[in-house]
Amino acid sequence: MRIAVVLGFLFAGAYLVAVLEARLATGRLRLAAPGWAAMALLGRESVVPRQPDRLFFETAPALLLIAALLAAAVLPLAPGLFITNLATGALFVNAALAYVLVALLMAGWGPDGAYALIGGWRFLGQLIAYSMLIVMPITAVAMRAESLLTTDIVASQTGLWNILYQPLGFVLFFIAAMGVAFLPPFDLPSAEGELAGGVTSEYTGVRLAVFRLGRLVLVITLSAATVVFYLGGWLGPVLPPWAWSAVKILAVSATMLLIGHYLPRIREAHLLAWCWKLGIPLALLNIFIVGVMVLVWP
Amino acid sequence: MAVITLQTFFIALFGIAALWFGVVVFRTSSMMRSALALLFSQTALGAMFLAMQAEFLGVLQIMMMATEMSIMAIFMVMFMMDPGGLGEMDMTHQKRLSIAAGVIGALAVSGVALFAHWGPTATVAPAAAEQIRGLGTELLGRSMIIFETAGVTILTAMIAATAVAMPVLQRKKTS
Repeated sequence: MRIAVVLGFLFAGAYLVAVLEARLATGRLRLAAPGWAAMALLGRESVVPRQPDRLFFETAPALLLIAALLAAAVLPLAPGLFITNLATGALFVNAALAYVLVALLMAGWGPDGAYALIGGWRFLGQLIAYSMLIVMPITAVAMRAESLLTTDIVASQTGLWNILYQPLGFVLFFIAAMGVAFLPPFDLPSAEGELAGGVTSEYTGVRLAVFRLGRLVLVITLSAATVVFYLGGWLGPVLPPWAWSAVKILAVSATMLLIGHYLPRIREAHLLAWCWKLGIPLALLNIFIVGVMVLVWP
Repeated sequence: MAVITLQTFFIALFGIAALWFGVVVFRTSSMMRSALALLFSQTALGAMFLAMQAEFLGVLQIMMMATEMSIMAIFMVMFMMDPGGLGEMDMTHQKRLSIAAGVIGALAVSGVALFAHWGPTATVAPAAAEQIRGLGTELLGRSMIIFETAGVTILTAMIAATAVAMPVLQRKKTS
């Protein structure tokens, strides 16, 4: 039952993200648009390109969806409302998100297409940029909570949310999360108008529908991770805990999409340079500051 | 008893998966397939750790291998003449030496596993959170010097590799 509720929540969130994405793309708010688009995709022929690496081609969309769902499995939406509460929860989120890369590499290599291939390898470069900025801020969050349990991390923010306790970590994690979900301006692997869809360029029909669903769930999962790690999870007055989680997660998703809408796509070399020359030193500084604060003002 | 049997079943299942993916590494000619087969072989080892109730080690293994093996994949694709494996290039070489080395290695490892004195073993695995605390204490206590030395050595190697690569770029610019 609990698992069904969490999954329902995730897919409902993914639908709303799709509505928002369509609103930003077309300028019109149509609640039924993603539903119609999904039905159209399911009804369309799912073309297999010539000489594909069939195994990778078929596995990639499913693996993307599974990776996003696994990462969401350890994120609590309310006290007791999670799929599983692992003692290594915060680390497990990282482990599951690492397979987003594997899925995109497979989607890049599988179809035997130039655009897809470039998109796949681009995401590998993107991982080198963002991965440290996911791990290091989470380290600082776990330091404050003195636990990797995601429920403990939420509980540690009862007095003061992490967005105020460690704002630097929040900014870095937020940017890196957009990088993981390859949202604009970090949509290097899909890059519409430049790579004609990149990793998704050779996918059609059902396979494309699964791929898009996986990406939408990934956006919701990363928003949920941001909420759990920095925005106090389910904590908040008046409304029930699950409602607070829902409101915060949707607000974070909407902010990610809005920011991307107004920024030009970043170049791969610039992304790497910014992340390594500025991002990682700042992430280390964040760990140091939080370390001092934990000792001085627990 | 039923729990132990289930645990043994999963350890064996993931162990066989790890071995099978390990065999696939050498049976395919595609560099990408080879790299990802090694990735899933290592992931299966991580799953074995999980089945053995070593949660932290398992999750860490599953996380690290996904990124490491993917990065290895691009190097394999870059440096091999036939990355897609479509040219039917023979990927094996020095077969006798490799087989001998493999057999001796396997025998040595099995010997150590069977005959080494492992000391007293715990009958029940400690709770996952306790394991993380124990590992942290170990890494920042008795084993600190080993891990710090390893870390600094890897960092030195990275800087050295970058330094070796740099002058080539500079020469190109000046010429």
